[in-house]
Formats: sequence, C-alpha cells, structure tokens
Amino acid sequence: MHVLIINGSPRIKKFSNTDKILGKFTKGLCENGTTFEQYEVSDKEQWDKMREAYYNNDNVLIALPLYVECIPGLLLEFLETLKPKNDGTKIAFILQSGFAEGIQLRCGEAYLEILARKLGCEYMGTLVKGDNFSIRFFEGEQQDRITEPYTEMGREYSKQGNFRSEDCKKFTGPEVFPAYVRFIVGLMQKTVAKKMFAKVAQNWGCTKAIDYKPYS
Amino acid sequence: MILIVNTTSDNAITGELKRCIDEKTLEAEIVECASLKISHCIGCNYCWLKTPGECSIKDDYEIILKKIIHADQLWVISDTALGFIDHKGKNIFDRILPIATMYLKFKGDQMRHVPRYDQRTDIGIIYSGEVERDYMDRWTERAALNFESRSLGVFSKEQIKEAVSCMC
Ligand SMILES: Cc1cc2nc3c(=O)[nH]c(=O)nc-3n(C[C@H](O)[C@H](O)[C@H](O)COP(=O)(O)O)c2cc1C
Repeated sequence: MHVLIINGSPRIKKFSNTDKILGKFTKGLCENGTTFEQYEVSDKEQWDKMREAYYNNDNVLIALPLYVECIPGLLLEFLETLKPKNDGTKIAFILQSGFAEGIQLRCGEAYLEILARKLGCEYMGTLVKGDNFSIRFFEGEQQDRITEPYTEMGREYSKQGNFRSEDCKKFTGPEVFPAYVRFIVGLMQKTVAKKMFAKVAQNWGCTKAIDYKPYS
Repeated sequence: MILIVNTTSDNAITGELKRCIDEKTLEAEIVECASLKISHCIGCNYCWLKTPGECSIKDDYEIILKKIIHADQLWVISDTALGFIDHKGKNIFDRILPIATMYLKFKGDQMRHVPRYDQRTDIGIIYSGEVERDYMDRWTERAALNFESRSLGVFSKEQIKEAVSCMC
C-alpha cells in the first residue's frame, strides 16, 4: 500500500506536533513495506503538488490538530479547492489535540466523517487522541514518551487500512477524567503548571504576565 | 453591545440586519471583512506565551479582537463549504485565542482555558449556502463552551428575522 499523508497543521513543520506524531506513526507504517509521501498544509508552495497527489492516490491520510472543535481554517481553505473524488478513494484521519479527554475531540471527529462524504471518499475512521499540546516544548526522550505510542498505530493502520479496531478506539484514553484525577490535575494547574508556563514564556522573551490584558 | 462580523462579500445580509437592528434600537457594530485583510491562525502560541493577549499576526483581525472583548454577542456571517462554515468564517474563531490565557482549569468535567477578560461573549452563526445543520448546531455549542458562553443558534440568511429575535 502507498499512502498520501497530509499534515493539516497550520504550524510550520519544524514546530508542528502533528509532524512529530507522524514521525513515529510512519515508522510503524513502513515496517511491512507500506510506503508514503507527506505534504504540509502550512507550506502553501506545496498546495499544487498536494492537490495533484490527492487526485493520484487512493489511500489518503490527513493528520491534523483540533482547532476550536473542528479543523483548522487553513486546512479548510485547502480542502475547499478539491473536487469530490467519487472513485473509491479511502480516507482516514489522525485527530490530535491539546486537551486530554476524549470527549474534547468528538465534535471534530464527527466533522471528519462528514468531510469524507463531501470529498467523495470512503471513510476509514479517525485515530483520536489528545494531550499533545506539550510535544513542541520537549525534545529527545521526553518528546518520544508522548509520541512513541503512535508507532503501534502506524503498524495497525498498515495492517487494517483503517482505524476501526478496538486497539485504535482504546488509544483515545478516557472520555473524561474521574473526579479525583480532576481534583489533582486542577491543583497542579494552579501551581506547577503555572510555573512551567512562566518558564517557557521567559525563554521566549515574554516580558508580561501570562494573564496580561493588553486591550482592557 | 452586539458585534456582527460579515465574512461574506454579500452586504445585502448586513443591510437587512441593519434595518432590523434600527427597528429594535439595539446597540450593534457591524464589521465588513470584504475590505479587510484577515489571515488564518498559524498556531505560533505567541498570544499565550510570548506576548500574552496579543496576536503575532499584525492584520485587521485586531479590529475584531478589540471589539469582541466588549461584546455580549458575536454573530459571524459566513459562506459555507464542505458542510461547514467556510475558511473565512472559521478563521474568525481560530484567531480568537488571545481572549483565553494559557492557564487551565476544570469547568464541570472538562478542562478549559482560563479566560483573559471578564466579558463573556455568546456566539451565533448566520450562513449563506448549504451546511450540515445538526453538525453546525453541535459545533456552535462546543465552540461557545470554550469561551464559557452560550450558543445563540445557527441561522440561514433566509432566517434573519429569527436571528434578530435572539439579539438583545
Ligand atoms: C487556534 C487553535 C485552536 C485550538 N483549539 C483546540 C481545541 O478546540 N481543543 C483542543 O483540545 N486543542 C485545541 N488546540 C490545541 C492544538 O490542537 C494542539 O496544540 C496540537 O497539538 C497542535 O498541533 P500542531 O503543532 O501540529 O499544530 C488549538 C490550538 C490552536 C492554535
């Protein structure tokens, strides 16, 4: 199988969490001889080639970050230029997000099924998982700890050609966190997480408080 | 204040809205995007971690952002594509991130960002074209959750009277 992979993130490849996820996913994908080509929506110079590849491939995988409960505006702009295929092309999605609970991604997931129909492609399912916001802030082993699980999902996809298996469904993790986890995570957000954000901000040359109000 | 952002080039919709608004003597501001330059969000995270509250893209979206933080209602008028609002409509929502902070908390059983301002802005959609209606309703509800506000509903441009009845 040969797969056209589109990274639907508007963030440049170097900093894109989706790209790091795809790095691991494609490692698993290629083990059994599956091949792929990858394009980035963030680079408008690639749009013509990407469109051509879309018409020439019958296995399409779009990996994307959740943007305000649906797909990013820039990805939508690209997709608006495509004509429906209606030729048996199969399309699957990797939907990833910042918030960690599965429930946060369901509205976006529901749209991807509609999108497959609008594009005239057969919907092969969506691999759904959140808790990926911090990938860009890590390197090496710390980053691998977040992204490595996607390798197994790459193997799964190359075997099944879809994301419908129980393992793919389980990959999402909990729909919501139990109350005691919410309590602990809530406390952490008020303490350690605030310090961590302040540190990142400082490294980025931020001179204002994180909750600064420029326009009030 | 009611903020109406027209991302279509059809000002017949805003024309009719203006008449209805005047009739009801509502306080409203209308922004026509046809002559404005509004980019997509590039996901740089600067509005949360480098220049809190400020977008790194210096374009006309700033006009809208400065109004949103004083608006009780935000109505986005949008063309449609692929069963949804089109990218111009969606960009208005993607670029809204500076009104949230990086800080996180649980609201009910789900995590949310801590809002930057006290103002809460309910959102409504007026669309021109074909959409998946049930999905649009669901999406608008979800989007509003992120701003700790409510959905005012989704209306086609033929239902402007109904939309106006939700404006106050
Ligand atoms: C404009 C914008 C909107 C976002 N909306 C959501 C959202 O609704 N829910 C969520 O869980 N994460 C949301 N995120 C977080 C991203 O999905 C997350 O950080 C993702 O890992 C980014 O991947 P990328 O680096 O490949 O773009 C949003 C991020 C941006 C920039």
